[in-house]
Amino acid sequence: MFDILIRNGKVVDGTGARAFLGDVGITDGRIVAIGPELQQEGRRVVDASGLVIAPGFIDPHTHFDVQLLWDGAAKPALEHGITSIIPGNCSLSLAPLKADDRKTLIGMFQQIEELPPEAFTQAFDWTWEDFAGYRAAIEPALAVNVAPLVGHSVIRLWVMGADAQQRAARPDEIAAMQDLLRECLEAGAVGLSTSFVDVDENARPVPSRFAQFQELDALCAVLGEFGRMLQIVPEFYDTDITIARIDQLAELSLKHRIPTTLSPVFDNRQSPNNVPRTLARIEEQTARGARVWPQMQTRPIDISFSLLRPSLFFARLPGWIKVLRLPVPERMIALRDPATADRLVADVGEDGGERLMGRLVVRGGGEAPDHLVGRTLGEIAAERGEVPARALITLSLENDLSIGFLAANGGHDSTERIGPMLANPLVHIGASDGGAHLTSFSTYGDTGYLFSEFVRKSGALSLELAVRKITSDTAEIWGLKDRGLLKPGFAADVVVFDPQIIARGEERPAFDMPGGGMRYVRDSIGIDTVLVNGEVAWSKGSYSDSATGRVCELT
Amino acid sequence: MALSLQRRFTTPEPDESLESLAARSLPDLPLDVAMEHIRGWNLHIFLMRRPRGLLLGGDVVFIEPPQT
Amino acid sequence: MKEAVVLAAEVAAGHDGEVDLVLTLSYENGVVGTVILDADTAFEIMQSCGATSSADLVGRAWHDILKGI
Repeated sequence: MFDILIRNGKVVDGTGARAFLGDVGITDGRIVAIGPELQQEGRRVVDASGLVIAPGFIDPHTHFDVQLLWDGAAKPALEHGITSIIPGNCSLSLAPLKADDRKTLIGMFQQIEELPPEAFTQAFDWTWEDFAGYRAAIEPALAVNVAPLVGHSVIRLWVMGADAQQRAARPDEIAAMQDLLRECLEAGAVGLSTSFVDVDENARPVPSRFAQFQELDALCAVLGEFGRMLQIVPEFYDTDITIARIDQLAELSLKHRIPTTLSPVFDNRQSPNNVPRTLARIEEQTARGARVWPQMQTRPIDISFSLLRPSLFFARLPGWIKVLRLPVPERMIALRDPATADRLVADVGEDGGERLMGRLVVRGGGEAPDHLVGRTLGEIAAERGEVPARALITLSLENDLSIGFLAANGGHDSTERIGPMLANPLVHIGASDGGAHLTSFSTYGDTGYLFSEFVRKSGALSLELAVRKITSDTAEIWGLKDRGLLKPGFAADVVVFDPQIIARGEERPAFDMPGGGMRYVRDSIGIDTVLVNGEVAWSKGSYSDSATGRVCELT
Repeated sequence: MALSLQRRFTTPEPDESLESLAARSLPDLPLDVAMEHIRGWNLHIFLMRRPRGLLLGGDVVFIEPPQT
Repeated sequence: MKEAVVLAAEVAAGHDGEVDLVLTLSYENGVVGTVILDADTAFEIMQSCGATSSADLVGRAWHDILKGI
C-alpha cells in the first residue's frame, strides 16, 4: 500500500514528454510508481480528476534567506506550487558572517532587497556565524526544500572586514576566501553568488564589486572542485556589458567546468535588441561548451511611484519635473497653489491626463484610503468630477504625498516577444526575486503566470514544456539530486493543479512581516495540492503542519 | 560556432587610476583624449556611479565605442 | 570623427519597478545604441544641460549634455 496515491490525473512528468492519464504512488517520501490505473491502494488518496500531476516547481532566484528562519514554507511561494527554492543570490547570504558584521549585512539586505531591519532582529535568535550553523538553524522547520547559495560579499566581509568595501584582496586573503568557500560547499551550499550592480544603504558598492577577476577566478576554482554554480547579477541595463559578463562566465565555466547563471535578463520595447543580442552570445558560448544560463522572469514589470520622489514617469512634462524636484515642503506648497496645479493639469494635454494617467491604479499598503485601493485614477477622477491629472494631485495632497500609484505592465510585457524567449532552450526561467522587494511589488506567482499567459493564452509553450522548464531543467542546471521529475526513486515533490485556471492572484498588501511590516503578495489560483518529500504541505487553500522540507542533496 | 567580435574591454588593476587605465588601453592617443574617450564609453562608471569614476576591480571598462 | 548625438528619449520600466530613461544615441562611429539612465542620473543631466523635459534632450550632442556633470 502506498502512503499516498494521487489518482486519475493528467501526468506531466517533467521530461517534456506528452501528458498521459494516470496515477502516482508515493511511499517513504519518494515516488515509487507511475502509470495508468495503479493497482495498489493508498493510505491517503488525492483525487486528481481533471487536474495535472506535475513535479514541484523550483525557483532558482530567491531571497528567502531570512524568512526561512520564521517561515519554513517561504509563504506564499509554496502555495504557488514551489517546492524547492534557491536563496542566497546576488552576493548576499546570512552565512558565513561574523556577529560584528550583522549590521552591515542587514543594511545591504535592506537596500538591495527591501527587507525591513525588524525581519532580522525580531523573529529569531541569531546564534550562528558559519554556513553549517545557518543550515542547522533553518533545517528543522523547513516545509520547502532549499538549496542555498553562499554570497561572495559575505565571504569577502568575513576575510577582509571593512576593507572588503575598499580594495582588492591580497593573495593570502584570496586563499582564505577559497578555504571559507570550500567549507560552505562542504556544508551543502549549491554555489556562489556575486553581484556587479548592487550598492549598500550608503550607496557604496557591495564588497563583491571590489574583487578583481582573478579573485573570482580563484573562487571558481573551488566551485570546480565540487562542480557547483556561479550566479551573477550583471549590469542588466547595458547589453554590451551583459555580453562582456557572459564572456567572463563562459571563460570561468570552461576553465573550471562549472555551470554559471546571470540574472536578470528582461525585455523592453524601448531596447528591443537587448535580449536577442544577449541570447545570440549565449548561443555562441554554449556551442563552445560553456554553461551560461540567462535567467528570465515570466511576469511583466509594474512601475510604481508616488509624488514623494521625482519619477521619470513625468519625464516629458517640464512643469511636473520642476515641481517634483523641489524639496518636499516646497513641493507640497507648490501643489497646493491653485495656479500651479492648473498649469500642471494643462501641461498633460487636452485630455486632462486620461491617456497618460487614467489607468494608474491606487496601491494599497501605504497611506491610501481603503475605498480607493485597487481602483484606477480614471474611475476615481470621474467620481470626483475631476480629470485624472487633477485627481493625482489632490489625492496625493490628501495623503501627504504618500499615496502610491501603479502602472501595470510597464516593461517586459510583450507576450508575443517574451513567449518564444521563455520557450528557448537556452533560457532559464527564474529571476523571480521571491522574498525580496517587499514594499515595491509582489515577487510571487510567476509560475502561475507562466501557465495562464504563455501556455493557455498565447500557446508559446506547451503545458509539458512549461512544466519541464521550471522543474527538471532547473534541477539539472543546478545539480539538485533526484528532484524535478515524476520518476520512481525521485523525491515526491508534487504539485496538483488545474491547467484550465492556474494563474496568479491580484497583488495585495499583507501585514505579516515581523513587527507587522507590510509586503505585497499574490495568492495562488488553481493549485489544488502541493506535496514536499511525500507529505501534503498545502491543500485546497490551507497549509499543513508538515515540515518535510530539506536542504537539497546535490549531484 | 566561432565567436563573433564584440566590444573590447579591460578590467582595472588594483588601485588603478583613470589616467593609468587610459594610457595603457589607448596608447596611441594623447592622454587627455584617451581619458575623454574612456569616460564617454563607460557611463556606468563615469556618469551613473556614486562617487562618479570610482574604478572597481570587477568593472568592465570599454576601450572602444559601441560596435553594433 | 563625428559627435555622438541623442536620437530619441523614452521612458521604460527598470528591473526594480522604477522608471528609467532610455536614450538612443548615434555614436561617433555611426553605430546606433541605447543608454539607460536611472532617475537620479537622468534628472541630474537634464538639469545640468538646461533640458526642461526628456524630449528636450533629443537632437543634442551627447558631449554637450554631459559637459556640466
